Amino acid sequence: MKKSLRFSAAIALAATATLTLASCGFGGDAGGDDAASGKTTLDLLVPSYSDNTQGLWEDVIDGFEAANPDITVNLEVQSWDNLDSVITTKISGGEAPDIFNGGPFAGYVADDLLYPAADVVSPDTLSDFQDSFLANAEVDGTAYALPLIASARALFVNNALLEQAGVAEAPTTWDELLDAATKVSALGNGIAGYGMPLGSEEAQAEAAVWLWGGGGTFGDADAITIDDPSNLPGAEQIKKMIDAGATQADPGSTDRSPLMDIFIQGKIGMQVGLPPTVGQIAEGNPDLDYSIVPIPTKDGSAFTLGVMDQLMAFKNDEDKQDAITKFFDYYYSADVYVPWVQTEGFLPVTKSGAEALSGEEALKPFLDVLPGAQFYPSTNTQWAAADGAFKSLFGQIQTKPAQDVLTEIQAQVDAG
Amino acid sequence: MSTSTETSSIIAGAASSGRPRPGGSARDLLRALPWIAPALLLIFGVVVYPAGVMFFNSTRDISLSGLDKGSAGFDNFAEVFAFPYFWPIFFRTIVWVVVVVGVTVLLSLGLAQILDKAFPGRKIVRLAVIIPWAASVVMTTMVVFYGLEPYFGIINTFLVDVGLIDTPEGYGWTRNPGTAFAWSIVVAVFVSLPFTTYTILAGLATVPGDVVEAAKMDGAGPARTYFSVVLPQLRGALSVAVLINIINVFNSLPILKVMTGSIPGYDADTIMTMIFKYIQNQHKIDVASALSVVAFLIVIVIVAAYVKVVKPMQEV
Repeated sequence: MKKSLRFSAAIALAATATLTLASCGFGGDAGGDDAASGKTTLDLLVPSYSDNTQGLWEDVIDGFEAANPDITVNLEVQSWDNLDSVITTKISGGEAPDIFNGGPFAGYVADDLLYPAADVVSPDTLSDFQDSFLANAEVDGTAYALPLIASARALFVNNALLEQAGVAEAPTTWDELLDAATKVSALGNGIAGYGMPLGSEEAQAEAAVWLWGGGGTFGDADAITIDDPSNLPGAEQIKKMIDAGATQADPGSTDRSPLMDIFIQGKIGMQVGLPPTVGQIAEGNPDLDYSIVPIPTKDGSAFTLGVMDQLMAFKNDEDKQDAITKFFDYYYSADVYVPWVQTEGFLPVTKSGAEALSGEEALKPFLDVLPGAQFYPSTNTQWAAADGAFKSLFGQIQTKPAQDVLTEIQAQVDAG
Repeated sequence: MSTSTETSSIIAGAASSGRPRPGGSARDLLRALPWIAPALLLIFGVVVYPAGVMFFNSTRDISLSGLDKGSAGFDNFAEVFAFPYFWPIFFRTIVWVVVVVGVTVLLSLGLAQILDKAFPGRKIVRLAVIIPWAASVVMTTMVVFYGLEPYFGIINTFLVDVGLIDTPEGYGWTRNPGTAFAWSIVVAVFVSLPFTTYTILAGLATVPGDVVEAAKMDGAGPARTYFSVVLPQLRGALSVAVLINIINVFNSLPILKVMTGSIPGYDADTIMTMIFKYIQNQHKIDVASALSVVAFLIVIVIVAAYVKVVKPMQEV
């Protein structure tokens, strides 16, 4: 009897503990205002761009809190892989962060969760953004997100391999690219001519590079158009590259980051890269003899895929608007923003930032191609679905007819 | 117990079944409540409540950003079954469970038999069998995944060095649905072995030595002794091992997620990775919940069928 009593007590204790812990998870303190001390707390949710990200944000927050002792900022850093599920969970739990750094935001606008950009930054800061970037954050004529960083793509070329294969100049058109890549692949010994990452990590980017380079488009704020005749030449060209053996093996399921490592090791002739790739090469294989050239297109015209990430402010508490405005104004001031964007290796989105970094040698090839940059239709509420559909389906182009893959992606987008 | 309770319980019992049932009245239940309440609370908190939320979500219309937009009836279930790859994924899930559990149990039977024999260094070998269990599944899978990686994986390099593969960068084992799925089965068997082996080993320890000896005296060979004497006595241990493995393997996400995660299309997916894709790629929490409910029901059906056919609870 005594034994079972003790046992029951143990179970009761365990149950109470479990329920108490669980209730912490459900309710919790949303980090609202602490009325007693008159302090405002801002929750900041950001993804990790590199190993520097956390430290960079901590520096920003330290500086901001020193200047605004009545505001506290809570930082939460997540990996890009987890970011989407974390923010979705927080929103459905009614605990959206006050400030969020992410990609597609049109869905939040549709659900009326975000402040318009003009409500959370001062007019001075707002006018400092590059106009084309701000325009890319507009839904129905109102900007709902603040540009944070921009990146452009360019072709990284392994000079040594091209020379070995007898290719005199870096390719500018698809025909030249196919020719050069086939020759480099013919070197054998596991060397691939062109690195083509169509795996789930970032299939939409490589797809855009090819489909748009052939005159295609993913659509605009009104309609997503993946299954469009203008996208077919690019898709067919991808197949041509694969069939000719000009790419690495199994491009359909190769992710971008591991493939970039192989380029850095010097085993790939050409691959599309980003500004941070420059830093990765400097760290991983400084002896690599490479150059950065514009991405080859169907007819050789200038084109690059621009990607812009944004900061957005969620409408949680009316009286936090002031604090958010103060934080953004502080963050986008050139003294704070320029070192931040420079350390991450991306391109600045403010006019003052571009001016300050105009002399940077490493960024020059990217700043050169930026005027021709095209962006994802991220102001379309369906873009998030299209993005997911590309990640899970586009790589099938390796084995399926190009048209079928485009149709399948469009179908998944339309099913929403 | 007072007289009045006695009579009332008798009357209640008589009214319902014609004879008094032992301790079946509401009052008895009430009296037992303080003792079973903590356990009930625990079951409610960690089992019933989450399952309830899952069922609830599966009938809601949840927006891409996670807001509840009201009831959707059974639309989410309709979407799950209308998905053209649903049935291939369903059958692949069954293949996955049957092959992994089958191979695991067969290998474990052999391993347990070896570990049951006394030989020098047995303790160390027994310890070695536990190690895959001690390591995290994701870690074990990652080791295999990177070993299979073209260009720098050691398994690939080995196969190239011994001449089995003639491409210098190695074969894309994890880049093709078929081979990635096959390797996932290998990993799943590997991580399921320790638990299964030890359950069977425990079963072997309960087989009385004199029974085996008696079989020998009667002239039974080793095979006959094993199949007619030892194996029937392992029924209890085997039943537990199989049942727990079925549930575990069916619900296993990390192995397939790591091994087949970058493969486009749905040719290497099971129901679990499909749920993950609904959440991660398509942000459809409502549809993912509906598929989870379907998965939950499938497991219940499989377990019910197993219990019905094998009758694991029945004594030998």
